[in-house]
Amino acid sequence: MSLEYVKFTPGFGKFMPKEYRDMVEHGPFGKKVSVSQVGTFKEILEEHPMCAGCAMTLFIRLAIVAFPNPEDTITVGTAGCGRLAISQAAIPFVYGNYGDQNGVASGLTRGLRLRFGDRPKDVVVMAGDGGMADIGFAQTLHSWFRKEKFTTIMLDNEVYGNTGGQESGMTNRNQVLKMAPLGKKFEKMDMLGMAKVAGCAYVATVVPNNPRRVESVIKKAVLVAREIGPSYIQAYTSCNIEYAIPTDKVMEDAKTVETDRYKFSEYITDEAKEYLSQLYGYKEYLPKPAAAVEKQ
Amino acid sequence: MYLVANIDTEICAATSCKLCTQYCPEANTILYDNEAGQDKGFKYGAAYVAVDRCKGCAQCVWVCDNMAKHNAIKMEMIDQIGDTALTENVTYGEKTSHALLANPVRGQG
Repeated sequence: MSLEYVKFTPGFGKFMPKEYRDMVEHGPFGKKVSVSQVGTFKEILEEHPMCAGCAMTLFIRLAIVAFPNPEDTITVGTAGCGRLAISQAAIPFVYGNYGDQNGVASGLTRGLRLRFGDRPKDVVVMAGDGGMADIGFAQTLHSWFRKEKFTTIMLDNEVYGNTGGQESGMTNRNQVLKMAPLGKKFEKMDMLGMAKVAGCAYVATVVPNNPRRVESVIKKAVLVAREIGPSYIQAYTSCNIEYAIPTDKVMEDAKTVETDRYKFSEYITDEAKEYLSQLYGYKEYLPKPAAAVEKQ
Repeated sequence: MYLVANIDTEICAATSCKLCTQYCPEANTILYDNEAGQDKGFKYGAAYVAVDRCKGCAQCVWVCDNMAKHNAIKMEMIDQIGDTALTENVTYGEKTSHALLANPVRGQG
């Protein structure tokens, strides 16, 4: 709920729910916080039932810290591990039926734009690789083709981790899993390529072993989705249970995978570059001075 | 009994890198106190663990040993670390947090 619409009447603040007061007084509502300040403020994410050492949780935690306007943000998710943590946050969470998350988010973002025309309301979809690339594939792609203005984040653990280790469209070829004993027969789906073809204005891959990069990517994606068009982030969030990674080696694995096959990549349209540089001061996207262009 | 992370305040306050706070998958578990270690002459504070939320994954140990190379975090049995921070005793101030120490097994006092 936005601070602009719900304000404490002096003297009545103590009657607001404790969780909400915590967010305003000690948390990030109405303030700017960064990943480097975590540990010094009350986070939006609370205790959650995810496994110990889960990289997906780390990514979700960093993503929620990075939201540019958390008090005006609504998250949408679906079945899968991720929603167990996302739903334990002090911002609204909408549960889309399995695979429906991008359809639900389409309606939600349109409705919010009609109702709150004066200020941006950010809708962020966070779902797993199964919910997005397999079961919700049609709705995900259609929302991009329709240029729905919200952010889609895939928590790509390359397996159906919540149901015992079946292969998903995002599992790598030849990968043997508990419920795929012969190994996967097909290549990993190129969702990044499809996002670009479908017209996403901002597409990025990221691994949570670089928290500041996660923060910068999420901020850009949410800002671009406010005005320009759909944005898509694909994050490698390993499943340490199904891939048998010791919990203290999760970041080592993330580093290995990042250098091997999940390199940081960013695709951004010219329109989105202009928007980010002019409205939000992103210097790296400012047009180069004429002298520098001539030298090239 | 089970293992939780325990941060050596002196080693941590000498470097104050804050990396472990960014790499813990649990929210508000590794917290940061800007005033920790000031009595020993350190300026920038140190991290500490709210042990009731620690799930014992030891990711912070790997980050402290391999990325920061400070070796300030060890996994210890919860009944052997003595008085430590618990979520209910944590207060938040202006860009810092502070914890009253209590025994994690017996409670405060």
